[in-house]
Amino acid sequence: MADGELVLDRLVHEPGRLAILTVLSAVTDADFVFLQRTTGLTKGNLSSHLAKLEDAGLVTIEKRFVRKKPNTSVALTAAGKRRIGRHWEQLERLKGLADNGPAPSPSAATPARRAAPVRP
Amino acid sequence: MLFVLAALGNWSWGPLRHDWVFLAAAGAIAASALAIDRYYAEHFGHVTPSLGRQRRATAASVAGVVAMIGVTTLLRSRAAWSLDLPVNPIPAVFGVLMLGYYAAVVGLRAHHVLVWGAVVLAGLLPVWTGGDPSNVGLVIAGAAAVVNGVLDHAALVRAFAAPAGPAPGPGSAGG
Repeated sequence: MADGELVLDRLVHEPGRLAILTVLSAVTDADFVFLQRTTGLTKGNLSSHLAKLEDAGLVTIEKRFVRKKPNTSVALTAAGKRRIGRHWEQLERLKGLADNGPAPSPSAATPARRAAPVRP
Repeated sequence: MLFVLAALGNWSWGPLRHDWVFLAAAGAIAASALAIDRYYAEHFGHVTPSLGRQRRATAASVAGVVAMIGVTTLLRSRAAWSLDLPVNPIPAVFGVLMLGYYAAVVGLRAHHVLVWGAVVLAGLLPVWTGGDPSNVGLVIAGAAAVVNGVLDHAALVRAFAAPAGPAPGPGSAGG
């Protein structure tokens, strides 16, 4: 990806995962119940998204027992913090383009520059 | 609840004139606090705040204790350097500290301003002449903390209410 190019990260951009990563970016760690309550995802969807994020190295998942009950704690990795931070920057830039229009330069005038491609 | 219990204990109200009853009541309050903590962990989950928020909470708590002792003594006490104003320093200072804590650590909501603002006003009204108003101040602060807690709970339940529409699924944007 060229420096300054507007590309949305498909793994992070999915609404459920974006909600999970955004919540985790504001805390040190959170358990499964908290993530479920804050994101509104079902248990199955949340598990599925967390597995994808763990496979991608964006979160760490720790399973433990709290008062003899299983408890799943989730935290962002350093890579996860970078990816969600960059993604929100890209969304802010995209909003800026929508609000102010593209910069009046030859490169910005091309359709490929104005659109925000989604990185697979 | 501890504030109210402390005031009732100071007044030697009913069975609280016995030290062991006071200690047992304090123990019961501590046990109920643990039960409430467990309820929230089971129903709303557990989260560890960010390091920045933890630092702000610690700093606000330490500053709060220092200010509580220093400013209440300054406003009205037997100390030679006290201003000896006709105010009730406990609700006045505690209310300001709670507003500061919420603003710095949690984020102020309308009910925080309403409840703790009313407590500050009640403490600063120049009607507290006569005897030591500390026990009434403790009751005001304790009652405000209970009301504030109930309103915080209501806000939490509203914020964590089940979503109206279907939850976003793994396949909704390229899963």
